[in-house]
Amino acid sequence: MSGFAASLGPVAAVLAVAAAAGWGVAAALVPRGRTARPERFAWGLAAGLAVVALSVPFAFTLRLPPGWLPFLLICALAVLPARLLAARETVADPPQRPPDAAGAVFTAALVAGLLAYALRALTEPMWANDYLAIWGFKGKTFFAEGAVPQRLFQWPSLSFSHPEYPLGLPFLYAGIAYLAGRWDDHAMALLFPVLQAGTLLLLFGWLRRRGAGRTLALGAAALLSLFEPLYRGFTTGMAEVPISFALVLLGTSLCDRIDRTDRSASRRLVLASVLCAATKNEGLFFVAAGLIVAAISAFSRRGVFARAAAFLALPAALVAAAHRLLRGSLPLSDFDFSWLRRPGELLPRIGESVAAVLENVSPLGWVGLAALALMIAAGRPSPPGTRLIALAACGVAAYLLLPAFAVRGPAWLVQTAFFRTTAALAPLLAAGVTARLIPLWPSGESSESGEGRGASARSPGAPRPSTRAS
Amino acid sequence: MKARRLAVLSAGAALAVVLVVAGNPGELVRRARYLEGSAPLELARRRAGGSGTAFDRDFFVFVEAARRSLPAGVHGLVIFTPRPSPQALYLASYVLAPVPVLVEPDGVPPRWLAAVYKLPPPEGWRIVARLPAGALLARP
Repeated sequence: MSGFAASLGPVAAVLAVAAAAGWGVAAALVPRGRTARPERFAWGLAAGLAVVALSVPFAFTLRLPPGWLPFLLICALAVLPARLLAARETVADPPQRPPDAAGAVFTAALVAGLLAYALRALTEPMWANDYLAIWGFKGKTFFAEGAVPQRLFQWPSLSFSHPEYPLGLPFLYAGIAYLAGRWDDHAMALLFPVLQAGTLLLLFGWLRRRGAGRTLALGAAALLSLFEPLYRGFTTGMAEVPISFALVLLGTSLCDRIDRTDRSASRRLVLASVLCAATKNEGLFFVAAGLIVAAISAFSRRGVFARAAAFLALPAALVAAAHRLLRGSLPLSDFDFSWLRRPGELLPRIGESVAAVLENVSPLGWVGLAALALMIAAGRPSPPGTRLIALAACGVAAYLLLPAFAVRGPAWLVQTAFFRTTAALAPLLAAGVTARLIPLWPSGESSESGEGRGASARSPGAPRPSTRAS
Repeated sequence: MKARRLAVLSAGAALAVVLVVAGNPGELVRRARYLEGSAPLELARRRAGGSGTAFDRDFFVFVEAARRSLPAGVHGLVIFTPRPSPQALYLASYVLAPVPVLVEPDGVPPRWLAAVYKLPPPEGWRIVARLPAGALLARP
């Protein structure tokens, strides 16, 4: 395996350095304690990758040679304040329990899911049409040209690359390539299993901090790791896996902010909002949906919504404004929203869109959806679970409606995009559905009395802190 | 509580079966074998044998050869092919990035080169390099 194995090393090293730098930043984002450690890894990975991506426009703007110097400068700018603002609260650890058989099975399934996606992602260089035409094309152009050429946004002949899409992922690709020293689109696919691992760590850690038993949290992570519609070769290189990570970061931090679980929840919300807006256009939609969820959840509590709204909306607005400065105002090229002025024609198109979705769900898909519905029905009401499921439902509704506006017709968009884009909602949904199951399998439920557990372990989703000041 | 737990466990088991079946474990074995065979090859050869070039592997070999033959400072490349397609445009644009690429335009912009794939070179154009199944051309 000399050729590929040798090229994998530098990319793995870059991702490890990014995660290490992010770990430093995450000191200000996540409370202390063993229980919070998986979340700190996940938020650290997100922060580290954001630093790698940001180092590219930073270098271009300051006319620095892109690579380690701008990366280290931004690391210093991010890590040093993070050390000063380090979270002082500690998550109370649930009592240790000996591993049970179910936990061992779920751990094995989780490892199998991670290995399966690693194999799918790394079988060959990233190859999906959208990777070649959009994400990889722009990233490679930035890397090879050492600039953001305006032709990407101005030439009609390059409209296939969707100039209106956010540039976070192309900057991340270029940043990894600068740090690794070359553009290697096979080794760079390693980013995607790493993003999957980050998503699973976040899911596990958040559920644990919110009071789920270890076995339940492991089971949720194991099932998600096996979700092939998201974690497959085709999606590797595209924006679905990154946005799925960003969305679960957004959803969980929004719930934490509303429930005021810890003081650093607002900082997490800021980072998640930036990541969503910088990864995909619908990231802005989810920030807006988060605002509505926050308004409904915190309407009665004075000031909570206003602050949550500011932490949500301002960072995303800044990202959108930066894109506007860089490339001007660009319309969504695949859609024609003038249908809104013709409701008589729009309604049949919505019907066509829904019919195309229903036609294309496989029998196995229906079984999976029925199982999911049963899980939701069997769970207990949980405010964070309801919020996360509501966010995911907003996403499904938007993805169902959008094909009605597609220039090439509803059926075309359903067939080319609906199933992979909705698959990106899986981590968010997994967190929401599992939050409803926490009362059925709370942490330390059997022999433990509950002493020393976080408050939210006893009352999942209650607006009380699950942390204590150290 | 017991009934709820039972329902969740049944649903979880069903979901696990669906996910494992949909994940196609047999495909993973084939992927492992493919990776084992292709990993020692250089990057371009790994891409040549992959899914992104399956629509026309010869076209990728042609584009990769064109990339290696392009003189420094070239402003862009126009590709003429008997079967222009979005896939050909995406692949060529990606492989040749940051050099701008046009496939089958009406004309060749000034200071751009042209490449013909499985087509004869037009009269009067100078051959810059011969490529597999084609040639890299400059204006006379």
